[in-house]
Amino acid sequence: MTWLTWRQFRAQAITAVAALAAFAILLAVTGRHIASLYAASGITGCHGGTCAGLASQFLSDLSSGRTFPLLPDGANAYVILYFLSVLVILVAPAIIGIFWGAPLIARELETGTCRLAWNQSITRARWLTVKLTLIGVAAMAVTEALSLLQAWWAAPIGKAVGLGGSASIMSEGRFGPFVFATHGITPLGYAAFGFALGVTAGLLIRRAIPAMAVTLAIFAAVQAATPLWVRPHLIPPSQTIATTEAAQANVFPTGGSTMVVTATRVAGQPGAWITSSGAVNAAGQPVTAPAACESALPHALGGSGSPECDNCLASHGIRVAVSYQPVSRYWPLQLTETGLFLALALALAGFCFWQLGRHRS
Amino acid sequence: MTAVIETEGLGKRYRKLWALADCTLSIPAGHVVGLVGPNGAGKTTLLSLATGMLAPTTGTIRVLGGRPAAGPAQLARVGYLAQEAPVYAGLSVADHLRLGAHLNPGWDAALARRRIDQLDLDPGRRAGKLSGGQSAQLALTLALGKRPELLILDEPVASLDPLARREFLQDLMETVAEQQVSVVLSSHLISDLERVCDYVIVLVDSRVRVAGPADELLAAHHLLSGPRRDMATLPDGLEVISASHTDRQSTLLVRSGGPVLDPAWAVSEVGLEDLVLAYMKQAAGRGHRQRHLEVQK
Amino acid sequence: MIEFHLDGRSGVAPYMQLIHQVRHALRLGLLREGDQLPTVKDVAAGLAINPNTVLKAYRELEYEGLAAARPGIGTFVTGTLDGGSLAAHGPLRADLRRWMAKARRAGLDDESIEALFLSTFRSASEENIA
Repeated sequence: MTWLTWRQFRAQAITAVAALAAFAILLAVTGRHIASLYAASGITGCHGGTCAGLASQFLSDLSSGRTFPLLPDGANAYVILYFLSVLVILVAPAIIGIFWGAPLIARELETGTCRLAWNQSITRARWLTVKLTLIGVAAMAVTEALSLLQAWWAAPIGKAVGLGGSASIMSEGRFGPFVFATHGITPLGYAAFGFALGVTAGLLIRRAIPAMAVTLAIFAAVQAATPLWVRPHLIPPSQTIATTEAAQANVFPTGGSTMVVTATRVAGQPGAWITSSGAVNAAGQPVTAPAACESALPHALGGSGSPECDNCLASHGIRVAVSYQPVSRYWPLQLTETGLFLALALALAGFCFWQLGRHRS
Repeated sequence: MTAVIETEGLGKRYRKLWALADCTLSIPAGHVVGLVGPNGAGKTTLLSLATGMLAPTTGTIRVLGGRPAAGPAQLARVGYLAQEAPVYAGLSVADHLRLGAHLNPGWDAALARRRIDQLDLDPGRRAGKLSGGQSAQLALTLALGKRPELLILDEPVASLDPLARREFLQDLMETVAEQQVSVVLSSHLISDLERVCDYVIVLVDSRVRVAGPADELLAAHHLLSGPRRDMATLPDGLEVISASHTDRQSTLLVRSGGPVLDPAWAVSEVGLEDLVLAYMKQAAGRGHRQRHLEVQK
Repeated sequence: MIEFHLDGRSGVAPYMQLIHQVRHALRLGLLREGDQLPTVKDVAAGLAINPNTVLKAYRELEYEGLAAARPGIGTFVTGTLDGGSLAAHGPLRADLRRWMAKARRAGLDDESIEALFLSTFRSASEENIA
């Protein structure tokens, strides 16, 4: 059965290896420039307050050289490569689900070859077990390999961002929706889930092309929904209440006499991930009215609030309630999210076994 | 003699329609069994139930004494050639043999290779490039290579040209003569089955109409023609399968326990095709009457 | 070695056709005592018929004393159907020709001649058995 799985999977495996090799070569060739730029920036020997400045300088140097015509300033080849490499890892589980997962059972049902395969001297359970295990492990390995390669390539960038560097589109922190799902161990969970989703869709829909479409749609929806509604609550966030000044809150007037207040940092928790924030009164209840501070509000959107605004709000007892995940929760969140998707993948696989055993096409 | 397939009240329903109903059979070993009937009669359903590709709605079925597809040992004893002889288009002939070798502990590699050589199949050729007859032969090799006790073939020659059909049947008969394998094959082409089968099951409209050794079955059915008569005046012991009348003449196809001695009738023998057609007419007639009754209500 | 063929439309059962062909060959001297008949496998494969059909024919020939099976080797012809000698055929053939000429002169057409001959032949055979 191992031989048959390999033989049927051979073309897809070769494609994956070729893609992985191309990815690796591209990153290896361009990574050298990044590493040398980083070494020359002096960040390695920095201490204290100078680090943030050096980091920002490094990032802007990296993003400003070799601008292509037609692209906006600051969007050079490296920035594009950064986003593309993250996109590849993000999209890989969906591609695996579509091209490795959906046709697995669906093509056999479509062409009738299932009647050949399932009448050899092995049970359907064994047939499915070997296929799911071998290809599932390959899926996880490929996706994680892509992630590790990209992490190696972007390591200097990550370090610079961690030291407070900004002024570049590449400075999304490790909790950011793109970065979190493509680094650490979450790619393993997504790959397993994408693959299992494809296989299940193929089994239920029984035709490869519709199954591919459904897999793509469902996986994209899950991938979009997770950072918004699932990830912030995987571990109950910590709560704190701070003044708008301490939280460096942005205050937005929203027509009439309402406002929206969003915090941008948590005192004492550098690098924390703010999952939600809002204005509260002295009693801790949410408020939307600026309570006599309308004149002190910024006149246009995007204003981060002046000291007058902060003082006025503070004097009226209006503060910001912040829910956040501290940096220390990074790996627990990674493990929890990966565990969640691996569990989903196993549940889908279990369903496939049950369905295959009883339905009997 | 042991039975290769035994069913008791077997039935399979898809939503509202019974694809197979009330099927009780005991198919003996050591025969080439022909399952005949028109398209949609339930032949594929019965064979799918026998191989474990389908699960029954009602009743039971036992194949070689065991439950179909119950485990590797049971699967190893039954070879199956599905309709349209599915093969992996992307795999070569040699790959298919390797598939057989890896997935069947009882695989006889020498036999498989000998068959491929005899059939003049190029081992390096992709199965998708083979002709209809050649892929049927490849699929048959895969079914036979594990040395099954029972071989089930679902319409193996339906989509083959006459030459390929003849070659396939010749090959099959040679195999039956060489190995101790029971064969159950279905077809709606009756002329092929007549030469090849020594046990016949007639399936019309989801039900088994008649089953038994071929020569006994044909000996028990007669075509009677004679002057026009009322059905009620027929002697006992004659079951009329189909009847047609003109103003002067009646022609009946009957089933009888013994010889028909009434001198008013000219008795002639019946071939398998006429027999199946008569049962088809009978089934259609019952259906019409049922529909007529429902309308009257 | 004799080669069999089947007429699918003759209405005669396949195993009977095989028996007839063996006896016909014996009569004409194409098969002689000691000749081997084709193996069951070869006949089944050549004609695409059930091996049991061939076995049935060979067993019937054995029963009639015309053949004998040697396990592991094959089936061999053991009897003849010359009916003594071919010498008797000549005069009998001549008698038959004279009778047929008489029938034609009486106004019978081919089918009537055949029907007359067959019905007489059948009833005479039955009398012989009885």
